[in-house]
Amino acid sequence: MFRKILIANRGEIAVRVVRACQEMGIRTVAVYSEVDRHALHVRCADEAHLIGPPPAGESYLVIDKIIDAAKRSGAEAIHPGYGFLAENPVFAERCEKEGVKLIGPSAHAMRTMGSKTLARKTVQAAGVPVVPGTVDPIATEEEVFRVAGEIGFPIMLKATAGGGGKGLRLVRGEEDLRSSLRMAKSEAKSAFSDDSVYIEKYIENPRHVEIQILGDRHGNYVHLGERECSIQRRHQKVIEESPSVVITPQVRAAMGKVAIDAGRAADYEGVGTVEFLVDKDVNFYFLEMNTRLQVEHPVTEMVTGVDIVKEQIRIAAGEKLSLRQEDVKQTGHAIECRVYAEDPDRNFMPCPGPITSLRTPGGPGVRDDSGVFEGFEIPIYYDPIISKLVVWGKDRQEAIARMKRALGEYIVTGVKTTIPFHIRVMNNQHFLEGNFDTNFIDKVFFREERERELPHFHVAVIAAAIQLFADERKQAVARRPVEAGEPASLWKYSSRPGMPKFR
Amino acid sequence: MNYIATIEGREIKVTVEEVGAARYRVTGEGKEHLVDAHQVQDSVWSVLYGTDSFEVDIQGRDEEYEVLIDGDCYKFSLMNEQRKALTRAGGKSAAGKALVTSPMPGKVVKLLVAEGEQVQADQGVIVVEAMKMENELKSAVTGTVKEVFVKDGEVVESGAKLILVE
Repeated sequence: MFRKILIANRGEIAVRVVRACQEMGIRTVAVYSEVDRHALHVRCADEAHLIGPPPAGESYLVIDKIIDAAKRSGAEAIHPGYGFLAENPVFAERCEKEGVKLIGPSAHAMRTMGSKTLARKTVQAAGVPVVPGTVDPIATEEEVFRVAGEIGFPIMLKATAGGGGKGLRLVRGEEDLRSSLRMAKSEAKSAFSDDSVYIEKYIENPRHVEIQILGDRHGNYVHLGERECSIQRRHQKVIEESPSVVITPQVRAAMGKVAIDAGRAADYEGVGTVEFLVDKDVNFYFLEMNTRLQVEHPVTEMVTGVDIVKEQIRIAAGEKLSLRQEDVKQTGHAIECRVYAEDPDRNFMPCPGPITSLRTPGGPGVRDDSGVFEGFEIPIYYDPIISKLVVWGKDRQEAIARMKRALGEYIVTGVKTTIPFHIRVMNNQHFLEGNFDTNFIDKVFFREERERELPHFHVAVIAAAIQLFADERKQAVARRPVEAGEPASLWKYSSRPGMPKFR
Repeated sequence: MNYIATIEGREIKVTVEEVGAARYRVTGEGKEHLVDAHQVQDSVWSVLYGTDSFEVDIQGRDEEYEVLIDGDCYKFSLMNEQRKALTRAGGKSAAGKALVTSPMPGKVVKLLVAEGEQVQADQGVIVVEAMKMENELKSAVTGTVKEVFVKDGEVVESGAKLILVE
């Protein structure tokens, strides 16, 4: 086993990795930018190395600086977390060359899964279901009609050189195919100077369900079941849960098997996640594979009892998986809410700044994977994640009730957070019924929220009036000269806004 | 003391009297409430409304209030009655509204207008980046760009003056 690991990341995920290392008796090395000297991951780790100015491009993303810190500290392995360098094959190759073990898959596996077309070809060859269609451009109009007829409508016409929604056409029936093809080609031509298009079956209102897999270098693989990640805002996951209400034990076993097949096809070593689109008939199609630890890994940990980060470290150290497929049991239900420093009542505008006070939730079944503390200033340079609030319950109903309770306990002042948004989702009837897909938040939830009546307007106005009254009173007292025989109380003054606080 | 709350254009008069330590009698719309209110944690108040317990996060800025209760955000304006009268007497002072300020600390990515340029209400005038997200800020009024206070690439604090439109 490693004696010392460098964590090439910051925030909650760096803290999460430090926690696993400490419990395994491994020394930890943090790296930090100039703005992160006070950050929680620096305080938790055994050692810390400054790696440059605040912008990630000059610190957390600079391979030379990370390698240099690893050499100086004598770390034998590097944990990349997620984001930053976690899926960068150049970094993986460099680690190998420098003789430092990267806790993650090989550069080859990252490259295979990092390319959309190569990943699709690789997993398809291994028998993994992909969204029906062609990857290669279609030459003639006749062929378009033939392929469309084979896979069935609705279909998507996509520009081979595509991106940004250009050259994309949804076709619902054969009668629209000819004109849509003409438009897709002409759009593709003007946008990319390349009018070639390919066809994919259009999956209507899909769910996004992913399978966590683990694989060691001895060829052993297990899957830890699914995570339901359909609650997304602008294609970003915001709430995840396990299990998914639509996945039966049979479907889970089938998805788990093909997820392992996909991993095996890329000689995958470490922990990884295979993402699927699931249609209304619970057919599932490979979407992509994430070759790293996933943000939402805690929901799987809560229902399986497996510490995924510790497994990941053991695998990197060359050990065999500590469990077989038959050892994996899912118990109860877990939900994660990603708490960001964003204002849900101003279109989720980022709110960096100091956290002036903090009360974190506790009690049975609650886990808060946080990267902050009271007094910490959330920098403007990085992802505005504050923490991941995760709960476990014996079933989905208890988990939702517990999440609502925990969110109510969670108070962050100084910055706006997405906590209120999560409370509203937990109260939404469609969410409670498990009736949603990836379009739910953007297309249904926000519309319903606009029409909802708020129950406590009178309390809000009365409380604000009292606050204003108390404020005016304090200002009046502060302006009044201190009279003889009436010493000013420091206690009184210390609580006034603008007055220095006694610590 | 009398206050005027404006909720979606409707004005409500609210009277607050202190009747004991942290205890208030609040009258509004012909109803009287006894309220026990303590500021417990920064902007968060513990409010006993009768005996019903609420945790209320009160954010007030320039008479515009945003109050969080149980995950719901209540937006309204609230002003001392005397001040409200003064504002009315002064007429519509559009100057204050025409100042574009930064709602968060960040970096100026792009100025979309220059001094002397005509802008429409709701037109984007500047892009400020925070946490890898770009946010386009808009002018509240139609008019002429009177002054630009910042340069491209400048790091700004929350509330910093960016652009004045008149």
